[in-house]
Amino acid sequence: MSDPLSKAATASEIARAVMSGKAKASAVIDAALRRIAAAEPTVNAFTDLVADRARKRAAEIDAGRHLGPLMGVPFAVKNLFDIEGLATRAGSKINVDGPRASRDGALVRKLEAAGAILVGGLNMGEYAYDFTGENAHYGPSRNPHDPTRMTGGSSGGSGAAVAAGEVPLALGSDTNGSIRVPASLCGLFGLKPTYGRLSRAGSFPFVDAFDHLGPLARSTEDLALSFDAMQGWDPDDPVCTDRDIEPTMPTLHEGIGGLRIAVAGDYFTKGGEPECFEAVATVAKALGATRTVVLPHAAAARSAAYVITAIEGAQLHLPRLRTRPQDFDPDTRERFMAGALLPGSWYVKAQRFRRQYRAEVLKLFNEVDIILAPATPCSAPRLGQVMMSIGGVELPVRANLGLFTQPISFIGLPVVAVPTRKSGALPIGVQVIARPYNEATALRVAAYLEKQGTCLSTPA
Amino acid sequence: MADDKPDIARWVDEGAKAIGLPIAPEYREKVIVNVERSLAIAGPLLALALDDELTPLPVYRP
Repeated sequence: MSDPLSKAATASEIARAVMSGKAKASAVIDAALRRIAAAEPTVNAFTDLVADRARKRAAEIDAGRHLGPLMGVPFAVKNLFDIEGLATRAGSKINVDGPRASRDGALVRKLEAAGAILVGGLNMGEYAYDFTGENAHYGPSRNPHDPTRMTGGSSGGSGAAVAAGEVPLALGSDTNGSIRVPASLCGLFGLKPTYGRLSRAGSFPFVDAFDHLGPLARSTEDLALSFDAMQGWDPDDPVCTDRDIEPTMPTLHEGIGGLRIAVAGDYFTKGGEPECFEAVATVAKALGATRTVVLPHAAAARSAAYVITAIEGAQLHLPRLRTRPQDFDPDTRERFMAGALLPGSWYVKAQRFRRQYRAEVLKLFNEVDIILAPATPCSAPRLGQVMMSIGGVELPVRANLGLFTQPISFIGLPVVAVPTRKSGALPIGVQVIARPYNEATALRVAAYLEKQGTCLSTPA
Repeated sequence: MADDKPDIARWVDEGAKAIGLPIAPEYREKVIVNVERSLAIAGPLLALALDDELTPLPVYRP
Protein backbone atom coordinates (compact mmCIF):
# COMPACT_ATOMS: atom_id res chain seq x y z
CA MET A 1 0.00 0.00 0.00
CA SER A 2 1.47 3.32 -1.10
CA ASP A 3 1.36 6.50 0.95
CA PRO A 4 -1.85 8.19 -0.33
CA LEU A 5 0.03 11.46 -0.65
CA SER A 6 2.81 9.97 -2.79
CA LYS A 7 3.10 9.84 -6.55
CA ALA A 8 2.95 6.04 -6.43
CA ALA A 9 -0.53 6.02 -4.87
CA THR A 10 -3.23 4.58 -7.08
CA ALA A 11 -6.76 5.96 -7.25
CA SER A 12 -8.14 3.03 -5.27
CA GLU A 13 -5.51 3.41 -2.56
CA ILE A 14 -6.32 7.11 -2.24
CA ALA A 15 -10.07 6.48 -2.15
CA ARG A 16 -9.65 3.83 0.56
CA ALA A 17 -7.46 6.16 2.63
CA VAL A 18 -9.86 9.11 2.32
CA MET A 19 -12.93 6.97 2.97
CA SER A 20 -11.41 5.45 6.10
CA GLY A 21 -10.30 8.85 7.38
CA LYS A 22 -6.60 7.95 7.12
CA ALA A 23 -6.04 10.83 4.69
CA LYS A 24 -7.79 14.13 4.05
CA ALA A 25 -8.91 14.89 0.50
CA SER A 26 -7.44 18.40 0.95
CA ALA A 27 -4.03 16.95 1.72
CA VAL A 28 -4.28 14.61 -1.30
CA ILE A 29 -5.11 17.54 -3.59
CA ASP A 30 -2.36 19.76 -2.17
CA ALA A 31 0.15 16.95 -2.68
CA ALA A 32 -1.04 16.43 -6.29
CA LEU A 33 -0.78 20.17 -7.03
CA ARG A 34 2.78 20.21 -5.63
CA ARG A 35 3.75 17.23 -7.80
CA ILE A 36 2.23 18.93 -10.84
CA ALA A 37 4.20 22.12 -10.17
CA ALA A 38 7.40 20.09 -9.82
CA ALA A 39 6.93 17.86 -12.88
CA GLU A 40 5.41 20.26 -15.41
CA PRO A 41 8.65 21.90 -16.56
CA THR A 42 9.75 18.41 -17.62
CA VAL A 43 6.61 16.68 -18.90
CA ASN A 44 4.29 19.52 -20.06
CA ALA A 45 1.17 17.47 -19.46
CA PHE A 46 -1.23 20.21 -18.33
CA THR A 47 -2.64 23.14 -20.30
CA ASP A 48 -5.15 24.21 -17.61
CA LEU A 49 -5.23 23.86 -13.84
CA VAL A 50 -8.39 24.31 -11.79
CA ALA A 51 -6.65 24.40 -8.40
CA ASP A 52 -9.21 26.58 -6.58
CA ARG A 53 -12.09 24.45 -7.74
CA ALA A 54 -10.21 21.29 -6.71
CA ARG A 55 -9.40 22.65 -3.25
CA LYS A 56 -13.04 23.69 -2.76
CA ARG A 57 -14.26 20.26 -3.75
CA ALA A 58 -11.72 18.57 -1.47
CA ALA A 59 -12.89 20.72 1.45
CA GLU A 60 -16.47 19.63 0.76
CA ILE A 61 -15.40 15.99 0.81
CA ASP A 62 -13.53 16.48 4.07
CA ALA A 63 -16.67 18.10 5.48
CA GLY A 64 -18.56 14.88 4.69
CA ARG A 65 -20.66 16.24 1.82
CA HIS A 66 -19.72 13.66 -0.83
CA LEU A 67 -19.24 9.92 -0.71
CA GLY A 68 -18.26 7.56 -3.52
CA PRO A 69 -15.85 4.87 -4.68
CA LEU A 70 -13.36 7.48 -5.97
CA MET A 71 -13.54 9.73 -2.93
CA GLY A 72 -10.73 12.29 -2.94
CA VAL A 73 -9.04 10.95 -6.09
CA PRO A 74 -7.41 13.71 -8.16
CA PHE A 75 -7.89 13.30 -11.89
CA ALA A 76 -7.37 15.32 -15.06
CA VAL A 77 -8.87 15.20 -18.54
CA LYS A 78 -7.62 15.62 -22.08
CA ASN A 79 -8.50 19.18 -23.01
CA LEU A 80 -11.20 18.11 -25.46
CA PHE A 81 -13.46 17.43 -22.43
CA ASP A 82 -15.59 20.40 -21.44
CA ILE A 83 -14.54 22.00 -18.16
CA GLU A 84 -17.03 24.54 -16.90
CA GLY A 85 -15.82 28.10 -17.41
CA LEU A 86 -12.95 27.17 -19.77
CA ALA A 87 -12.70 27.09 -23.55
CA THR A 88 -12.50 23.50 -24.80
CA ARG A 89 -9.15 23.68 -26.57
CA ALA A 90 -9.11 20.24 -28.18
CA GLY A 91 -5.40 20.93 -28.59
CA SER A 92 -6.07 23.90 -30.82
CA LYS A 93 -5.38 27.61 -30.73
CA ILE A 94 -8.58 28.34 -32.68
CA ASN A 95 -11.00 26.95 -30.08
CA VAL A 96 -9.59 29.24 -27.39
CA ASP A 97 -11.48 32.06 -29.16
CA GLY A 98 -14.70 30.05 -28.86
CA PRO A 99 -17.26 29.95 -26.06
CA ARG A 100 -16.44 28.86 -22.50
CA ALA A 101 -18.07 25.57 -21.53
CA SER A 102 -21.28 26.13 -19.58
CA ARG A 103 -20.85 22.85 -17.70
CA ASP A 104 -18.48 19.92 -17.38
CA GLY A 105 -18.50 17.05 -19.85
CA ALA A 106 -20.66 14.05 -18.94
CA LEU A 107 -17.77 11.82 -17.79
CA VAL A 108 -16.25 14.58 -15.66
CA ARG A 109 -19.59 14.93 -13.91
CA LYS A 110 -19.85 11.18 -13.41
CA LEU A 111 -16.35 10.89 -11.91
CA GLU A 112 -17.01 13.82 -9.60
CA ALA A 113 -20.32 12.28 -8.56
CA ALA A 114 -18.23 9.24 -7.54
CA GLY A 115 -16.09 11.50 -5.34
CA ALA A 116 -13.15 12.18 -7.66
CA ILE A 117 -11.74 15.70 -7.94
CA LEU A 118 -10.86 17.36 -11.25
CA VAL A 119 -7.54 19.22 -11.15
CA GLY A 120 -7.13 20.30 -14.77
CA GLY A 121 -7.10 19.90 -18.53
CA LEU A 122 -4.35 18.02 -20.37
CA ASN A 123 -2.26 18.63 -23.45
CA MET A 124 -3.10 16.75 -26.66
CA GLY A 125 -2.38 16.61 -30.36
CA GLU A 126 -4.40 19.23 -32.23
CA TYR A 127 -8.01 18.17 -32.75
CA ALA A 128 -6.90 14.62 -31.84
CA TYR A 129 -5.49 14.03 -35.34
CA ASP A 130 -2.28 12.72 -33.89
CA PHE A 131 -0.39 9.70 -32.57
CA THR A 132 2.68 11.58 -31.21
CA GLY A 133 1.56 13.87 -28.36
CA GLU A 134 3.30 16.79 -30.06
CA ASN A 135 1.59 20.16 -30.36
CA ALA A 136 2.90 23.31 -32.06
CA HIS A 137 0.81 25.66 -29.90
CA TYR A 138 1.41 24.26 -26.42
CA GLY A 139 4.62 22.30 -26.89
CA PRO A 140 4.92 18.52 -26.88
CA SER A 141 3.92 16.44 -23.89
CA ARG A 142 7.13 14.62 -22.92
CA ASN A 143 7.49 11.01 -21.89
CA PRO A 144 8.21 10.87 -18.14
CA HIS A 145 10.32 7.73 -18.65
CA ASP A 146 12.60 9.66 -21.03
CA PRO A 147 11.67 13.32 -21.62
CA THR A 148 13.54 13.37 -24.94
CA ARG A 149 10.90 10.99 -26.28
CA MET A 150 7.25 11.14 -27.31
CA THR A 151 4.37 10.27 -25.02
CA GLY A 152 2.37 9.07 -27.97
CA GLY A 153 -0.95 10.66 -28.75
CA SER A 154 -3.23 12.13 -29.17
CA SER A 155 -3.95 11.80 -25.41
CA GLY A 156 -0.30 12.71 -24.75
CA GLY A 157 -0.89 14.83 -21.66
CA SER A 158 -3.06 12.06 -20.20
CA GLY A 159 -0.19 9.60 -20.63
CA ALA A 160 2.42 12.00 -19.25
CA ALA A 161 0.38 13.11 -16.21
CA VAL A 162 -0.29 9.55 -15.01
CA ALA A 163 3.16 8.17 -15.86
CA ALA A 164 4.82 11.09 -14.04
CA GLY A 165 2.64 10.44 -10.98
CA GLU A 166 1.05 13.90 -11.14
CA VAL A 167 -2.39 12.28 -10.90
CA PRO A 168 -3.33 8.60 -10.63
CA LEU A 169 -6.12 8.80 -13.18
CA ALA A 170 -6.71 10.66 -16.46
CA LEU A 171 -9.32 10.54 -19.17
CA GLY A 172 -8.43 10.45 -22.83
CA SER A 173 -10.14 9.86 -26.13
CA ASP A 174 -9.39 7.13 -28.65
CA THR A 175 -10.52 7.38 -32.27
CA ASN A 176 -7.81 5.25 -33.85
CA GLY A 177 -5.56 4.50 -30.88
CA SER A 178 -5.23 7.73 -28.92
CA ILE A 179 -5.62 6.04 -25.50
CA ARG A 180 -3.79 2.82 -26.39
CA VAL A 181 -0.78 4.48 -28.06
CA PRO A 182 0.15 6.78 -25.12
CA ALA A 183 -0.62 3.95 -22.67
CA SER A 184 1.90 1.83 -24.60
CA LEU A 185 4.63 4.46 -24.86
CA CYS A 186 4.19 5.70 -21.26
CA GLY A 187 3.87 2.26 -19.64
CA LEU A 188 0.27 2.56 -18.42
CA PHE A 189 -2.94 0.60 -18.33
CA GLY A 190 -5.48 2.16 -20.70
CA LEU A 191 -9.08 1.21 -21.41
CA LYS A 192 -10.73 1.90 -24.73
CA PRO A 193 -14.26 0.70 -24.02
CA THR A 194 -16.73 -0.65 -26.57
CA TYR A 195 -17.90 2.02 -29.05
CA GLY A 196 -20.93 3.71 -27.53
CA ARG A 197 -20.35 2.36 -24.02
CA LEU A 198 -19.41 5.70 -22.41
CA SER A 199 -21.10 9.01 -23.14
CA ARG A 200 -19.18 11.48 -25.28
CA ALA A 201 -21.51 14.37 -24.41
CA GLY A 202 -19.58 17.51 -23.58
CA SER A 203 -16.43 16.54 -25.46
CA PHE A 204 -15.09 18.00 -28.70
CA PRO A 205 -15.58 15.48 -31.54
CA PHE A 206 -13.11 14.28 -34.15
CA VAL A 207 -14.59 11.33 -36.05
CA ASP A 208 -18.07 10.43 -34.86
CA ALA A 209 -17.85 6.93 -36.35
CA PHE A 210 -14.90 5.99 -34.12
CA ASP A 211 -14.70 8.44 -31.19
CA HIS A 212 -14.43 6.70 -27.81
CA LEU A 213 -13.58 8.09 -24.37
CA GLY A 214 -11.85 6.17 -21.59
CA PRO A 215 -9.42 6.12 -18.66
CA LEU A 216 -5.63 5.73 -18.31
CA ALA A 217 -4.19 4.65 -14.96
CA ARG A 218 -1.38 2.71 -13.30
CA SER A 219 -3.57 -0.13 -12.05
CA THR A 220 -6.34 -2.28 -13.46
CA GLU A 221 -8.44 -1.67 -10.36
CA ASP A 222 -8.35 2.07 -11.15
CA LEU A 223 -9.53 1.41 -14.70
CA ALA A 224 -12.36 -0.78 -13.43
CA LEU A 225 -13.43 1.61 -10.66
CA SER A 226 -13.50 4.64 -12.95
CA PHE A 227 -15.09 2.74 -15.86
CA ASP A 228 -17.88 1.48 -13.61
CA ALA A 229 -18.48 5.00 -12.33
CA MET A 230 -18.74 6.34 -15.90
CA GLN A 231 -21.04 3.71 -17.38
CA GLY A 232 -24.68 4.42 -18.16
CA TRP A 233 -27.00 5.64 -20.91
CA ASP A 234 -26.89 9.31 -21.78
CA PRO A 235 -29.49 10.80 -24.13
CA ASP A 236 -27.06 13.64 -24.91
CA ASP A 237 -24.86 11.25 -26.94
CA PRO A 238 -26.91 9.54 -29.65
CA VAL A 239 -24.33 6.76 -29.91
CA CYS A 240 -24.36 5.97 -26.18
CA THR A 241 -25.76 2.49 -25.53
CA ASP A 242 -28.96 1.91 -23.61
CA ARG A 243 -27.77 -1.50 -22.44
CA ASP A 244 -27.73 -2.14 -18.73
CA ILE A 245 -24.63 -1.13 -16.83
CA GLU A 246 -22.28 -4.12 -16.48
CA PRO A 247 -19.99 -3.54 -13.49
CA THR A 248 -16.44 -4.82 -13.92
CA MET A 249 -15.20 -4.58 -10.33
CA PRO A 250 -17.01 -7.68 -9.00
CA THR A 251 -15.22 -10.03 -11.43
CA LEU A 252 -11.89 -8.19 -11.72
CA HIS A 253 -9.90 -10.66 -9.64
CA GLU A 254 -11.58 -13.85 -10.86
CA GLY A 255 -8.51 -14.88 -12.86
CA ILE A 256 -8.38 -16.34 -16.34
CA GLY A 257 -9.88 -19.79 -15.72
CA GLY A 258 -12.08 -20.87 -18.61
CA LEU A 259 -11.01 -18.08 -20.94
CA ARG A 260 -9.91 -18.96 -24.48
CA ILE A 261 -7.05 -16.62 -25.33
CA ALA A 262 -5.37 -16.32 -28.73
CA VAL A 263 -2.71 -14.19 -30.36
CA ALA A 264 -3.56 -12.18 -33.50
CA GLY A 265 -1.60 -13.54 -36.44
CA ASP A 266 -0.73 -12.38 -39.94
CA TYR A 267 -1.11 -8.56 -40.15
CA PHE A 268 -0.32 -8.21 -36.42
CA THR A 269 2.99 -10.09 -36.72
CA LYS A 270 4.56 -7.76 -39.31
CA GLY A 271 5.43 -4.10 -39.60
CA GLY A 272 6.80 -3.63 -36.09
CA GLU A 273 10.10 -3.61 -34.26
CA PRO A 274 11.09 -6.84 -32.44
CA GLU A 275 10.19 -5.32 -29.04
CA CYS A 276 6.48 -5.13 -29.87
CA PHE A 277 6.29 -8.81 -30.83
CA GLU A 278 8.39 -9.78 -27.79
CA ALA A 279 5.87 -7.93 -25.61
CA VAL A 280 3.00 -9.94 -27.11
CA ALA A 281 4.97 -13.18 -26.64
CA THR A 282 5.66 -12.34 -23.00
CA VAL A 283 1.99 -11.66 -22.30
CA ALA A 284 0.85 -14.72 -24.27
CA LYS A 285 3.25 -16.94 -22.30
CA ALA A 286 2.01 -15.57 -18.97
CA LEU A 287 -1.54 -16.36 -20.06
CA GLY A 288 -0.69 -19.77 -21.50
CA ALA A 289 -2.02 -18.64 -24.89
CA THR A 290 -0.67 -20.80 -27.67
CA ARG A 291 -3.37 -20.40 -30.28
CA THR A 292 -3.25 -17.93 -33.17
CA VAL A 293 -6.26 -16.41 -34.93
CA VAL A 294 -6.23 -14.32 -38.08
CA LEU A 295 -8.38 -11.21 -38.32
CA PRO A 296 -9.28 -11.38 -42.00
CA HIS A 297 -8.70 -8.21 -44.04
CA ALA A 298 -6.97 -6.38 -41.18
CA ALA A 299 -4.89 -4.35 -43.66
CA ALA A 300 -8.05 -3.21 -45.43
CA ALA A 301 -9.56 -2.39 -42.03
CA ARG A 302 -6.65 -0.11 -41.29
CA SER A 303 -7.07 1.52 -44.73
CA ALA A 304 -10.78 2.00 -44.18
CA ALA A 305 -10.25 3.48 -40.71
CA TYR A 306 -7.74 5.90 -42.22
CA VAL A 307 -10.12 6.92 -45.02
CA ILE A 308 -13.13 7.48 -42.74
CA THR A 309 -10.97 9.43 -40.31
CA ALA A 310 -9.42 11.63 -42.98
CA ILE A 311 -12.76 12.45 -44.61
CA GLU A 312 -14.89 12.90 -41.47
CA GLY A 313 -12.17 14.90 -39.70
CA ALA A 314 -11.63 17.17 -42.69
CA GLN A 315 -15.35 17.74 -43.14
CA LEU A 316 -15.67 18.76 -39.48
CA HIS A 317 -12.89 21.32 -39.80
CA LEU A 318 -13.54 22.57 -43.33
CA PRO A 319 -14.98 25.96 -42.23
CA ARG A 320 -11.87 26.60 -40.10
CA LEU A 321 -9.53 25.36 -42.85
CA ARG A 322 -11.10 27.95 -45.14
CA THR A 323 -10.95 30.89 -42.75
CA ARG A 324 -8.06 30.29 -40.34
CA PRO A 325 -5.57 27.91 -41.96
CA GLN A 326 -2.65 29.85 -40.48
CA ASP A 327 -3.88 29.07 -36.96
CA PHE A 328 -3.73 25.28 -37.37
CA ASP A 329 -0.80 23.21 -36.16
CA PRO A 330 1.39 22.70 -39.25
CA ASP A 331 1.38 18.98 -38.45
CA THR A 332 -2.39 18.67 -38.82
CA ARG A 333 -3.29 21.42 -41.31
CA GLU A 334 -2.23 19.82 -44.58
CA ARG A 335 -3.47 16.40 -43.48
CA PHE A 336 -6.91 17.86 -42.86
CA MET A 337 -6.76 19.71 -46.19
CA ALA A 338 -5.83 16.52 -48.00
CA GLY A 339 -8.72 14.70 -46.29
CA ALA A 340 -11.16 17.27 -47.66
CA LEU A 341 -10.10 16.31 -51.19
CA LEU A 342 -10.55 12.53 -50.95
CA PRO A 343 -13.42 10.98 -52.94
CA GLY A 344 -16.73 10.30 -51.23
CA SER A 345 -16.83 6.89 -52.91
CA TRP A 346 -13.86 5.86 -50.72
CA TYR A 347 -15.83 6.82 -47.64
CA VAL A 348 -18.89 4.83 -48.59
CA LYS A 349 -16.81 1.82 -49.53
CA ALA A 350 -15.03 2.00 -46.18
CA GLN A 351 -18.38 2.08 -44.37
CA ARG A 352 -19.72 -0.85 -46.40
CA PHE A 353 -16.56 -2.83 -45.75
CA ARG A 354 -16.87 -2.13 -42.03
CA ARG A 355 -20.01 -4.23 -41.92
CA GLN A 356 -18.26 -7.17 -43.56
CA TYR A 357 -15.16 -6.91 -41.35
CA ARG A 358 -17.29 -6.63 -38.21
CA ALA A 359 -19.07 -9.88 -39.11
CA GLU A 360 -15.77 -11.63 -39.89
CA VAL A 361 -14.16 -10.61 -36.62
CA LEU A 362 -17.23 -11.32 -34.48
CA LYS A 363 -17.17 -14.85 -35.90
CA LEU A 364 -13.71 -15.32 -34.37
CA PHE A 365 -15.19 -14.56 -30.98
CA ASN A 366 -17.25 -17.76 -31.25
CA GLU A 367 -13.94 -19.57 -30.85
CA VAL A 368 -11.98 -17.30 -28.52
CA ASP A 369 -12.73 -14.84 -25.73
CA ILE A 370 -9.62 -12.68 -25.90
CA ILE A 371 -7.25 -11.72 -28.71
CA LEU A 372 -3.78 -10.31 -28.03
CA ALA A 373 -2.04 -7.90 -30.40
CA PRO A 374 0.75 -5.32 -30.22
CA ALA A 375 -0.36 -1.84 -29.15
CA THR A 376 2.34 0.10 -31.00
CA PRO A 377 4.93 -1.00 -33.56
CA CYS A 378 7.77 0.36 -31.38
CA SER A 379 8.51 1.97 -28.03
CA ALA A 380 8.59 5.78 -27.74
CA PRO A 381 10.23 7.54 -30.74
CA ARG A 382 12.31 10.66 -30.14
CA LEU A 383 10.49 14.00 -29.98
CA GLY A 384 10.41 15.60 -33.40
CA GLN A 385 11.17 12.33 -35.14
CA VAL A 386 9.37 12.31 -38.50
CA MET A 387 10.35 8.96 -40.00
CA MET A 388 10.99 5.64 -38.31
CA SER A 389 12.63 2.50 -39.55
CA ILE A 390 10.49 -0.59 -39.10
CA GLY A 391 11.81 -3.88 -40.33
CA GLY A 392 14.27 -1.91 -42.48
CA VAL A 393 11.50 0.17 -44.14
CA GLU A 394 11.36 3.95 -43.59
CA LEU A 395 7.83 4.98 -42.59
CA PRO A 396 6.29 8.23 -41.32
CA VAL A 397 5.90 8.11 -37.52
CA ARG A 398 2.56 9.95 -37.46
CA ALA A 399 0.69 7.65 -39.78
CA ASN A 400 2.14 4.40 -38.47
CA LEU A 401 2.12 4.49 -34.66
CA GLY A 402 -1.53 3.41 -34.91
CA LEU A 403 -0.96 0.57 -37.33
CA PHE A 404 -2.09 -2.09 -34.84
CA THR A 405 -4.77 -0.11 -33.01
CA GLN A 406 -6.75 1.11 -36.03
CA PRO A 407 -8.16 -2.25 -37.20
CA ILE A 408 -9.59 -2.79 -33.68
CA SER A 409 -11.26 0.58 -32.96
CA PHE A 410 -12.59 0.50 -36.55
CA ILE A 411 -15.25 -1.94 -35.29
CA GLY A 412 -15.47 -0.61 -31.76
CA LEU A 413 -14.12 -3.62 -29.84
CA PRO A 414 -13.20 -3.06 -26.18
CA VAL A 415 -9.47 -3.15 -25.45
CA VAL A 416 -7.28 -2.89 -22.39
CA ALA A 417 -3.74 -1.78 -23.23
CA VAL A 418 -1.39 -3.45 -20.73
CA PRO A 419 2.21 -2.33 -20.14
CA THR A 420 5.34 -4.44 -20.39
CA ARG A 421 8.88 -3.32 -19.73
CA LYS A 422 12.18 -5.10 -19.99
CA SER A 423 14.96 -4.05 -17.64
CA GLY A 424 16.79 -1.04 -19.06
CA ALA A 425 14.32 -0.56 -21.90
CA LEU A 426 11.39 1.77 -22.48
CA PRO A 427 7.87 0.44 -21.85
CA ILE A 428 5.69 -0.97 -24.63
CA GLY A 429 2.10 -2.15 -24.47
CA VAL A 430 -0.05 -5.05 -25.64
CA GLN A 431 -3.71 -4.89 -26.62
CA VAL A 432 -6.04 -7.27 -24.75
CA ILE A 433 -9.07 -7.32 -27.03
CA ALA A 434 -12.52 -8.67 -26.14
CA ARG A 435 -15.87 -9.05 -27.89
CA PRO A 436 -18.22 -6.03 -27.79
CA TYR A 437 -19.43 -5.08 -24.29
CA ASN A 438 -16.97 -7.49 -22.64
CA GLU A 439 -14.77 -4.90 -20.96
CA ALA A 440 -15.07 -7.01 -17.80
CA THR A 441 -13.28 -9.94 -19.47
CA ALA A 442 -10.45 -7.80 -20.86
CA LEU A 443 -10.01 -6.17 -17.45
CA ARG A 444 -9.94 -9.60 -15.74
CA VAL A 445 -7.10 -10.67 -18.01
CA ALA A 446 -5.25 -7.40 -17.40
CA ALA A 447 -5.70 -7.79 -13.63
CA TYR A 448 -4.32 -11.34 -13.81
CA LEU A 449 -1.26 -10.09 -15.70
CA GLU A 450 -0.79 -7.36 -13.11
CA LYS A 451 -1.09 -9.85 -10.23
CA GLN A 452 1.45 -12.17 -11.86
CA GLY A 453 3.85 -9.23 -12.21
CA THR A 454 3.97 -9.54 -16.01
CA CYS A 455 2.37 -6.13 -16.52
CA LEU A 456 3.16 -3.46 -13.96
CA SER A 457 3.01 0.30 -14.14
CA THR A 458 5.18 2.44 -11.92
CA PRO A 459 5.52 6.22 -12.12
CA ALA A 460 8.75 7.59 -13.56
CA MET B 1 -3.78 4.07 -72.99
CA ALA B 2 -2.19 7.02 -71.23
CA ASP B 3 -0.38 6.74 -67.89
CA ASP B 4 -2.90 5.50 -65.26
CA LYS B 5 -1.18 7.30 -62.42
CA PRO B 6 -3.29 10.25 -61.29
CA ASP B 7 -1.84 13.74 -61.46
CA ILE B 8 -2.07 14.48 -57.75
CA ALA B 9 -1.04 18.13 -58.05
CA ARG B 10 -3.90 18.75 -60.46
CA TRP B 11 -6.25 16.72 -58.24
CA VAL B 12 -5.35 19.00 -55.33
CA ASP B 13 -5.62 22.25 -57.32
CA GLU B 14 -8.90 21.43 -59.03
CA GLY B 15 -10.45 19.65 -56.05
CA ALA B 16 -9.68 22.58 -53.76
CA LYS B 17 -11.29 24.94 -56.26
CA ALA B 18 -14.35 22.71 -56.54
CA ILE B 19 -14.98 22.64 -52.78
CA GLY B 20 -13.99 26.28 -52.19
CA LEU B 21 -10.94 25.55 -50.07
CA PRO B 22 -8.18 28.06 -50.71
CA ILE B 23 -4.77 26.37 -50.36
CA ALA B 24 -1.95 28.89 -49.94
CA PRO B 25 1.17 28.18 -52.02
CA GLU B 26 3.19 27.44 -48.88
CA TYR B 27 0.78 24.61 -47.91
CA ARG B 28 0.30 23.13 -51.38
CA GLU B 29 3.30 20.80 -51.48
CA LYS B 30 2.44 19.14 -48.15
CA VAL B 31 -1.19 18.73 -49.20
CA ILE B 32 -0.02 16.94 -52.35
CA VAL B 33 2.26 14.67 -50.29
CA ASN B 34 -0.65 13.86 -47.99
CA VAL B 35 -3.04 13.02 -50.82
CA GLU B 36 -0.32 10.76 -52.28
CA ARG B 37 0.08 9.12 -48.87
CA SER B 38 -3.69 8.69 -48.55
CA LEU B 39 -3.86 7.03 -51.94
CA ALA B 40 -1.18 4.56 -50.85
CA ILE B 41 -2.82 3.83 -47.48
CA ALA B 42 -6.27 3.44 -49.07
CA GLY B 43 -4.86 0.83 -51.46
CA PRO B 44 -5.89 -2.33 -49.57
CA LEU B 45 -9.46 -1.01 -49.22
CA LEU B 46 -9.74 0.11 -52.83
CA ALA B 47 -8.45 -3.26 -54.02
CA LEU B 48 -11.32 -5.17 -52.39
CA ALA B 49 -14.40 -6.29 -54.30
CA LEU B 50 -17.55 -6.00 -52.19
CA ASP B 51 -20.87 -7.78 -52.74
CA ASP B 52 -23.66 -5.54 -54.05
CA GLU B 53 -25.80 -6.58 -51.08
CA LEU B 54 -23.22 -5.27 -48.62
CA THR B 55 -24.68 -1.98 -47.39
CA PRO B 56 -23.35 0.17 -44.58
CA LEU B 57 -24.92 -0.28 -41.15
CA PRO B 58 -27.45 2.54 -40.90
CA VAL B 59 -27.24 2.54 -37.11
CA TYR B 60 -23.84 1.31 -36.18
CA ARG B 61 -23.72 -1.15 -33.29
CA PRO B 62 -20.49 -2.96 -32.61
